Amino acid sequence: MRAAVLACGLWLAVTPALAASSIPEDPLGSVMWETLYPEVFGTAPVVADDRVKVLAPADVENARAMPVAVDATALDGVQEIVIVADLNPFPVVLRYEPLKARPFIATRIKIQQATAVRAAARTRDGVWHMNGRLVDAAGGGCAAPPASYAASDWADHLGEVQARVWPADAAGTARVKLRIRHPQDTGLMAGVPAFFIDALTLTAADGTPVARLSPLEPVSEDPVFTLALDAPVPGSVLTLKGRDNNGGDIAASIPVPVKTAATGTVGVTP
Amino acid sequence: MMRFLSVFTRTTVSAAALTAALAAGTALAAGPTKDDLLGDTKSTGDVLTYGMGYQGQRYSPLKALTPDTVSKLVPVWSFSFGGEKQRGQEAQPLVVDGVMYVTGSYSRLYAVDARTGHKLWQYDHRLPDGIMPCCDVINRGAAVYGDKVYFGTLDARLVALNKDTGKVIWSKKTAEYKDGYSMTAAPLIVDGKIITGNSGGEFGIVGMVEARDAETGELLWQRPTIEGNKGTLGGKESTVTGVVNASWPGDMWKTGGGATWLGGTYDPETNLLYFGTGNPAPWNSHLRPGDNLYTSSTLAIDPNTGEIKWHYQTTPHDGWDFDGVNELVSFDLRMDGKVIKAGAKADRNGFFYVLDRTNGQLINASPFVSKITWAKSIDLKTGRPVYNDDNRPGAPTEGGEGKGKSVFSAPAFLGAKNWMPMAYNPDTELFYVPANEWGMDIWNEPITYKKGAAYLGAGFTIKPLYDDYIGALRAIDPKTGKIAWEYKNPAPLWGGVLTTAGNLVFTGTPEGFLKAFDAKTGKEVWKFQTGSGVVGCPITWEMDGEQYVAVVSGWGGAVPLWGGDVAKLVKDINQGGSLWVFKLPKA
Repeated sequence: MRAAVLACGLWLAVTPALAASSIPEDPLGSVMWETLYPEVFGTAPVVADDRVKVLAPADVENARAMPVAVDATALDGVQEIVIVADLNPFPVVLRYEPLKARPFIATRIKIQQATAVRAAARTRDGVWHMNGRLVDAAGGGCAAPPASYAASDWADHLGEVQARVWPADAAGTARVKLRIRHPQDTGLMAGVPAFFIDALTLTAADGTPVARLSPLEPVSEDPVFTLALDAPVPGSVLTLKGRDNNGGDIAASIPVPVKTAATGTVGVTP
Repeated sequence: MMRFLSVFTRTTVSAAALTAALAAGTALAAGPTKDDLLGDTKSTGDVLTYGMGYQGQRYSPLKALTPDTVSKLVPVWSFSFGGEKQRGQEAQPLVVDGVMYVTGSYSRLYAVDARTGHKLWQYDHRLPDGIMPCCDVINRGAAVYGDKVYFGTLDARLVALNKDTGKVIWSKKTAEYKDGYSMTAAPLIVDGKIITGNSGGEFGIVGMVEARDAETGELLWQRPTIEGNKGTLGGKESTVTGVVNASWPGDMWKTGGGATWLGGTYDPETNLLYFGTGNPAPWNSHLRPGDNLYTSSTLAIDPNTGEIKWHYQTTPHDGWDFDGVNELVSFDLRMDGKVIKAGAKADRNGFFYVLDRTNGQLINASPFVSKITWAKSIDLKTGRPVYNDDNRPGAPTEGGEGKGKSVFSAPAFLGAKNWMPMAYNPDTELFYVPANEWGMDIWNEPITYKKGAAYLGAGFTIKPLYDDYIGALRAIDPKTGKIAWEYKNPAPLWGGVLTTAGNLVFTGTPEGFLKAFDAKTGKEVWKFQTGSGVVGCPITWEMDGEQYVAVVSGWGGAVPLWGGDVAKLVKDINQGGSLWVFKLPKA
């Protein structure tokens, strides 16, 4: 006890200068911000920016799969997008490098309790543009067993991919949607180790990587990702390659439709 | 505000402390090279291979611990494998640059600071629900080479991880776990190749030895152990193993067993891999007249091509599950003024074999347990057993309806010696063999092969031979086959043996003790209660000028699952899962 008190005193003595000055304001007023800022952003500048749209429900109906979409297409030169659910046991949900794709991503994530859900997009100048919202939730999504464990054949379908590329819209953006069979265990369920997809890369027919994803524990079971590509060559084939944290391979070929007619637009219009 | 400040403060300081710790710690080392692995027998500061050297002698040149000093040996730390998952802990730890790599039950791998017991990282393999390990959810150890550490999993995958971070670099499916395959042995790394056996001999699988590029995991060659099956080399079909139907009837060879579930040893002097092969499938030998090559054998294999250079079959036409998978330990046999490149194998069938390891010729074979019913002796001219024909369990009755004649046979199918590796001490010129004295009632039953189902065709129950002991640690003179000394243990011995230049022999007991014996006399000179049964392999190494000893503790393995009457004797042993490290107190 004495040692603990002494240690606390030491921390207080060491740090006063750092605190207020180096941490940007949190537009969401989250209690976790001062802890998360250095973990997620290091010392990089972060600004609140409405041009990053984060679409998530006010009330989370299914804590195991809350839809979230991040649209940073109003910014130029986005290098990376990060999604964070502050009060999850694993706050960082995923990191996304759009490479040759538009800075847009939609997925479903687990929510452990009511929390700030934020996304930030890093532009070429190293500045993170951040926005988000508070979501209310009954919670428990990170510690519940995947629904697929009710059946004994989950391992038979591990890594199976369903994917589709839609024809490009008038702006030359083609939506691609990926669904991968995987339990995405967080490691919080007793006796079940963490087991989740941690790398996905989408590659064009000419071998150029067009989008790179680094998902983490909070991405929902059987993850679904919607991305927005610069119109790929009609009739060509995209390649999806990835793996989980056990080294299990994920691989799929995704045909691009020949038809180029517009069927709507991609983006968040709240 | 005050509250905010303190949260932030704590985070900052711990991050700073972490950075300082990383900077102060040793730079991440490049890891063991080919030469380091070759020199593991002589280097005392590390344990880089399963067997404490390629030849598998489990001998250390360290001398600080002796029958006199060992009485002061005390624990330095103990590390828990954690979780709700316990069961058998059969691993041999490795020690590399002050880090211990140790595997646990349920396909788990840990990196632990050897000085403090502090966990550096842990990898828990996500196992499917349908794994089919025959004989407990064990693992026998990891392999290390360069920046990677490797181990096999119960769903028959081979996983390579970064040794400093525990991140998976690659993971290769070696076989289909639903067909009964698994991987429990420690991999063997020779000249940049990672060489593995397979497990699943109770399910009608085909035994296999495989070599992969240790860097990429790419398959280099495969050698099935059952005649008639084709090998591969460089992605193409290579040669057929043996001659089709020379020693197997019909198409029984397609599901013939011969699992290489203990992995192998390597001898740099002859540049040969030595892999033991398991029992033929099914157990009912009347279904497969012939020698059933190459089951219950030792195979000498060229590490570059996967070709079989010689074989020695210890139990031709095995009808008792005398699975000849036991390790062949290379050693110099000094006889009649000559040094013979020899290898020794204490077989499950009860005989201790000494072979010329350059060509597989039998030099000597002698019983190392008190009762052997299935054979009178081994004919030194032909190398074949002289069977007691009436001790072969009978064929199921006409029409295949009922069970065949039951016989009482010794050793039991769990073997005069099972998986647990023996040790050889070149100073005493003795082998130290963890033996068990038991027999079994065994009978045959009708069976047909069904993929993924147990393929035995036999029933059995194990019985102790003596009231006061089952286990016996025996010192055997390979020149004569004579037993120099023995230590009797009430429960069956199921752990590996270590011997040192300090004239010591270490082994564990299911009763929970790690024990040390005088290597010359067999006198028990030290013991320590680890809290659960010891069925792992002790190691020793030197660090900061002191001699350390380590062993894993955690009762399990095949005995509680298959042991019949014997399982009742050990049913009250509590489970566990921990790594213990010992040294002498500083003067």
